[in-house]
Order: sequence, then structure tokens, then C-alpha cells
Amino acid sequence: MNFMKLNIQLFAHVKAQGSTRNGRDSRGRRLGAKASDGQTVSAGSILYRQRGTKIYPGVNVGMGKDHTLFAKVTGVVRFERLGRDKKKVSVYEA
Amino acid sequence: MIKVRINKNKIVMTGHAEYAEENDIVCAAVSSIVTTSINACLKIEANSLIHKEIYEGKELSKLTIEVTSDNKSILLIVENMIAMLEELALTYKKNIKIIKED
Repeated sequence: MNFMKLNIQLFAHVKAQGSTRNGRDSRGRRLGAKASDGQTVSAGSILYRQRGTKIYPGVNVGMGKDHTLFAKVTGVVRFERLGRDKKKVSVYEA
Repeated sequence: MIKVRINKNKIVMTGHAEYAEENDIVCAAVSSIVTTSINACLKIEANSLIHKEIYEGKELSKLTIEVTSDNKSILLIVENMIAMLEELALTYKKNIKIIKED
């Protein structure tokens, strides 16, 4: 008897072999330094975009809730060491 | 879209439901209706119909059913199969279409 085997995927599209469900990525967040050492910046300008505190706020520098570092005063940017293995950024008034 | 062409005693089914990528309920419904109807006919009368599946790789591209018996029960089952597919087509217009050619 030539019975049909019940395959409830009979009329389904069979996905191409080896197709993957990856292949998605988010857009780049353009993190990193926005002002360089020795550069003169005005108060409020953003110095460094980061996730967490790769670089700490120094003199006359504030930190936003997303750890963005910004100048509190107009002055010259200085990237300095902080302790043995950390860095900080400061703004010294000219 | 699944196309069901009905011409006198011959039914030709092509295409895919394409209702969903993984859990294609329309495909499952159509597959179940057709398979169980065919098997029911064959159980009543061994050579009551001829069914032929044509595959492209792992994918069914065409299913042909030719009813060769005029046994009342067989014709009733086939008629019921078509009625169920028509009912399905009312709800899932984009996934299945019945075309009567006779």
C-alpha cells in the first residue's frame, strides 16, 4: 500500500542549508577622545566618550551619567597618569 | 503561497505556505489534511488514487493526486479534503489558494 508518511512540514520552505541566525551588529558608538592633549577647549565641551571609567575625571573635569568626561572651565587639556595604572584628564585654565 | 489546482479527478498542489519561517501552522494544516485524506482513501481501497510527490532537494515542489476510483466513500473523502482546504484558504488568503479549472 502506497501510504503517505505524515510530515506536517510537507509544504514548508526548507531553509537554505547552512543559513545562520547571526549576522546582526549594532552601529559603532564613536567612543574615545574628543579633545587631544594640549588642545584648548571651552567650558562644557566633551573631552572623552567611554563605557565605564577607562579614563577618570581630573582637575576642572566633570563626568556625566554615561561616564562622558567634559570640561568645567575653558582651558588646556592634559591627559595624566592616576596612580600606578590609571589615567585621568584635566583642564587647566590658560 | 500554496496553489491547489483542481481539474475533474486531478489535484495538483505547488508552492509553500510561507506563513512563518519556523512554525508554519498553515503548512502543517495543509500537510495534515492532504496526507490523512490520501491515506484514508488508500485504506478503504488500495488503488483508489495515485499520488506523486516531486522534490527539489529536500523541498516538495509539486504534489499530484489523481483519483482513479468512483467509490462513493473515496469521492466523499476527496471532496471533504477540498472543502477543508477551501475553508483554510478563506482565513489564510495569502498562504493558500484554490483554483478550480474544470
